[in-house]
Amino acid sequence: MASMGGGADGDPEFQIAPMIDVLLVLLIFFMSIAATAVTRYDPSIALPVAPDAAKKEDSEGELVFNVAWHAAQSEAWVTFEETRLDPADLEGVLAQRLKAQPGARVLVRSDAATPVRHVQAIVAAAAAAGVAEVTFAARIR
Amino acid sequence: MKPRSLSPEAEVGFQIAPMIDVVFVILVFFMALAAQIRIEHSLQTTLPGVAVAGGPTPLVDEQLIQIDATGEVRLNDEALDTIDSVHLPQLRATMLRLKESADAAKSTVVVTVIGHPDSAYGRTIEVLNVLAAAGIRQVTFTTEEES
Repeated sequence: MASMGGGADGDPEFQIAPMIDVLLVLLIFFMSIAATAVTRYDPSIALPVAPDAAKKEDSEGELVFNVAWHAAQSEAWVTFEETRLDPADLEGVLAQRLKAQPGARVLVRSDAATPVRHVQAIVAAAAAAGVAEVTFAARIR
Repeated sequence: MKPRSLSPEAEVGFQIAPMIDVVFVILVFFMALAAQIRIEHSLQTTLPGVAVAGGPTPLVDEQLIQIDATGEVRLNDEALDTIDSVHLPQLRATMLRLKESADAAKSTVVVTVIGHPDSAYGRTIEVLNVLAAAGIRQVTFTTEEES
């Protein structure tokens, strides 16, 4: 059986081309998972825990609303695409987006302590704008 | 002034080392960014829409879950779990039974969750979690009208 070891003449040299290939693949992988999530998700929000929540399979066509609860001011800040929205504008914004993206669905990311009226305002606006699916983000632990 | 010209020997070729340096820096940046991303899960609700006429009307078993301001959970006006019961054991057992009997009767369980406007959103999520565990998919969500 032929030996796999290299002789003195057969010493493998460091190959730069495959290393660059691997580097670029890693780079594209990390870019793809980081870019969209960072722009749409507010990391300061403490999501509620739901151990039986399903894993999200697809983020395509998702309109992400972040609801941050500021207990000191008793205020909930609703942000959509990094812009703070007034509750009265929710329906208009959703209707406009639904025209461009007919199958869009709404994802609500809210602090667990937020009074439910602020989340319901988004759900009501979604229903009025004609969105059929509303999902709520949660942590499983 | 005499213009500077490069001799053929001094022509700058493609340099691989700085390119690898730059790619490494970008890679480390995106790896650090990706490390901060937490995997999130979701609970789905379906909002009431326009019914399609013409098809057979499915049998529907409609249930109403209310959450009051203190976090107490009621099913069709019957008190089940207080704020102390985080995992809502009574609601969970009841919804599992309901789902089993609805499956046996080939009907669909439709649940409307009505939360008090001042109740914590986290409590609503606990209720939606119980419904997800019971396999109930037709869930709508609303709040009580404020007087």
